Amino acid sequence: MSPLGLLSTGEKAEIVEIMAQKGSCHGTGKSHDCHVEDMGLRIGKTVEMLNNKGGGPILLKIDESRIAMARGMAMKIMVKKS
Amino acid sequence: MSSESGVQSSELNNPPQSPLNLRGDKRGVTIAVAGNPNSGKSTLINAIAGTRLHVGNWPGVTVEKKSAMFEHEGRQIRIVDLPGTYSLSPYTQEEIIARDYLVHEKPDAIINVVDATNLERNLYLTVQLLELGIPVVMALNIHDEAVSKGYKIDIKTMEDILGIEVIPTVATKKTGLNDLLKAVTSNTSVHHPKKLNYGSDIESAASAVERQIKNSYPQLLEKNPLRWLVFKLMERDSYVMDEIKIGDNISFIEEATKHLIKAHGDDVESIMADERYALASGLTHEVLKKPEFKKMEMTEKIDKFVLNRFLGIPIFLAAMWIMFKLTFDVSTPFADWMDAMITGPFKRWAEAILGLIQAPEWTTSLATDGVIAGVGFVLVFVPVIFAMMFFITFLEGSGYMARAAFVMDRAMHSMGLHGKSFIPMLLGFGCNVPAVYATRTLENPRDKALTALLIPLMSCGARLPVYVVFIGAFFAANAGTVLWSLYVMGIALAVLMGIIFKKTLFKGESPMFIMELPPYRMPSFKSLMIHTWEKGKHFLIKAGTYIFAVSILVWFLLNLPWGVEHKKDSYLGQVGQVFAPALEPLGFGNWEAASSLVSGLIAKEIVVGTMGEIYVQSTDDTDQTEVPTLTDDLKEMGTSFATAAKDAAENVISTFGVASMSSEESTEETEERTPLRGILKGQFTPLSAYAFIVFVLLYMPCVVVAIAMKQEFGTWKWFGIAFAYQMVLAWVVAFVIYQGGKLLGLG
Repeated sequence: MSPLGLLSTGEKAEIVEIMAQKGSCHGTGKSHDCHVEDMGLRIGKTVEMLNNKGGGPILLKIDESRIAMARGMAMKIMVKKS
Repeated sequence: MSSESGVQSSELNNPPQSPLNLRGDKRGVTIAVAGNPNSGKSTLINAIAGTRLHVGNWPGVTVEKKSAMFEHEGRQIRIVDLPGTYSLSPYTQEEIIARDYLVHEKPDAIINVVDATNLERNLYLTVQLLELGIPVVMALNIHDEAVSKGYKIDIKTMEDILGIEVIPTVATKKTGLNDLLKAVTSNTSVHHPKKLNYGSDIESAASAVERQIKNSYPQLLEKNPLRWLVFKLMERDSYVMDEIKIGDNISFIEEATKHLIKAHGDDVESIMADERYALASGLTHEVLKKPEFKKMEMTEKIDKFVLNRFLGIPIFLAAMWIMFKLTFDVSTPFADWMDAMITGPFKRWAEAILGLIQAPEWTTSLATDGVIAGVGFVLVFVPVIFAMMFFITFLEGSGYMARAAFVMDRAMHSMGLHGKSFIPMLLGFGCNVPAVYATRTLENPRDKALTALLIPLMSCGARLPVYVVFIGAFFAANAGTVLWSLYVMGIALAVLMGIIFKKTLFKGESPMFIMELPPYRMPSFKSLMIHTWEKGKHFLIKAGTYIFAVSILVWFLLNLPWGVEHKKDSYLGQVGQVFAPALEPLGFGNWEAASSLVSGLIAKEIVVGTMGEIYVQSTDDTDQTEVPTLTDDLKEMGTSFATAAKDAAENVISTFGVASMSSEESTEETEERTPLRGILKGQFTPLSAYAFIVFVLLYMPCVVVAIAMKQEFGTWKWFGIAFAYQMVLAWVVAFVIYQGGKLLGLG
């Protein structure tokens, strides 16, 4: 198990845990991880790292969508390499 | 535009409140269109409604609302576009608007636009829509792309499982739209969706809550669909709880969901979300067959370059440069043409008409030197503004805008923001006002305020007229580059100010972001035109209202006290003289420049209008040659327009390196045509001209932005800060440029 943010470009992995804490992203106190999940990032899904430049945001492919995500958030999503 | 008035008049004839059409049994239908962002929803609406589309705002908020009224096969159809959302949870403004509309306005049917290339995630929203019990027809959009990818979607099975009609569509090519309209307007009771089974744990809890509502709160069912209400109560949705004023009587909900929570070890909201996603996922597996072998998609190929670690930012800057160069090259000939028309035939006609009715001399002066000079000088820039809006719309529609946010995320971090804030800022290049409103997409109040403070540094379309006049007079040979330098300077100063604000006003962490990068798509010409018009029309409205009024005001201020001999002694001239000394070190310490800047506080394009009024009227009487006839005028308009079109085409070609001599020729030509440029050459040096346009770039947001900021934040505080820092910044930067330039021997 490793953080999503550590996958290198081209690697695929399965999401096993989403630890992005509730309330960490919405300043208003509402949780943001609902949004993460609404966008298709869910436990059991396979994601592909499209772009991990080692700095700045990462780019994921999940199903047919490309999702850009802050690195900090990607470090809070745990994956298992497939 | 005719479409708007058309829609409004048809709404008057058929008030949307009454579902019954007066003509016999043809009932009017209200249809809501719901779907994910990037599902092609907007294109679909444009294709269906065309020019009948009415664009406004949702009440109380500034999220765009599109609607249209039209007749289809004898039925009156009212179509309402809901904001693009991934879900109907209450987390974003868009989601709340969409669900409020669906629950409270009770449309007769929903068109659910689904991206056929991305079924699972789109179906997640579908599952939620079905909970509302409103008839749904699915537009399985972008179907052609799914087919070309080798996807096989079993539409029949999908219809059976969901109990709704599914129509494959390709909005960009207008296929399937008739079938879609037919399905949605036919007897809607057929499309009542099936009740999906959420599993025994959820269903048994739901039926307990349902019984309780029916017994104790039957009045709630008048306003809310039963299943939806039950689910929202189980999830303890705070908006619904507040709305129905159920108060503390939630023990029956706690009781009903106790087992559910224990069995799944999570809160009900998460359990429900998981179940909905499982339904969407299961359905996808059931109906979708993907080919084994997958080729690399075009979008990924392009992204390899555009998002490359080293190439990303250079590509972004190059894209911006090309955009400005094209804007300038395409529009300048047309702007010159409009200028010639306004200062030529229109002015002559106005004078002739006023002479005919023997109007007093001062009204002729007000009309020609005031209104035509003021409004006319600003209208000249309509081609420039529309060209710029066109290219911005293209960047948005093609999918590049989101990439720009991705590429710039790192740079944005240095100023305490993240990439998502970059989109409102980019929109600021069009107009700062919608950009300020676009800060709504930022969840965090700190990000929102900081972004809004920096937006005025993004050079908006209204500042273009000023640049164009000065660049035309002083830097015609390097027009594109000089223009680009102004935009880049705005961005660089935004970074600098961002860093300063981050260390002072906005200490603390910038939160994390997540956003979708849509696939690259060629925007359809029609949707480009519609959105270009939507963005550009505000400028026309401003020209017709604000600028018209201010032109008249400026004329009076320039001609009062009554009978004033020199404009210098007029009220405006006196105000200008007060401020002029402060501008002396910047290279433009004359009252004319100061007066123009003062009037530009209303809107920056007025700077040019005022200059037109100040400089031009005093000199243009010198070349009174033979007055051409009306036919001559019309002929000249036609031929010079053709020349303008030809010049524009040639300029585009020369942008891409093909040699062309036309640019120098046209500069000389325009000099004759536009007296203002000639006069400016006497008043400014190239160095002080550059300092002046930099000052205009920076010196303060216009009045409309001020109002927008007040509306967005409910306080004048942020506008006050923006006003103060920009005044200081403008003065300091113009000072450094002018004095520095002089030291280097440029002035």
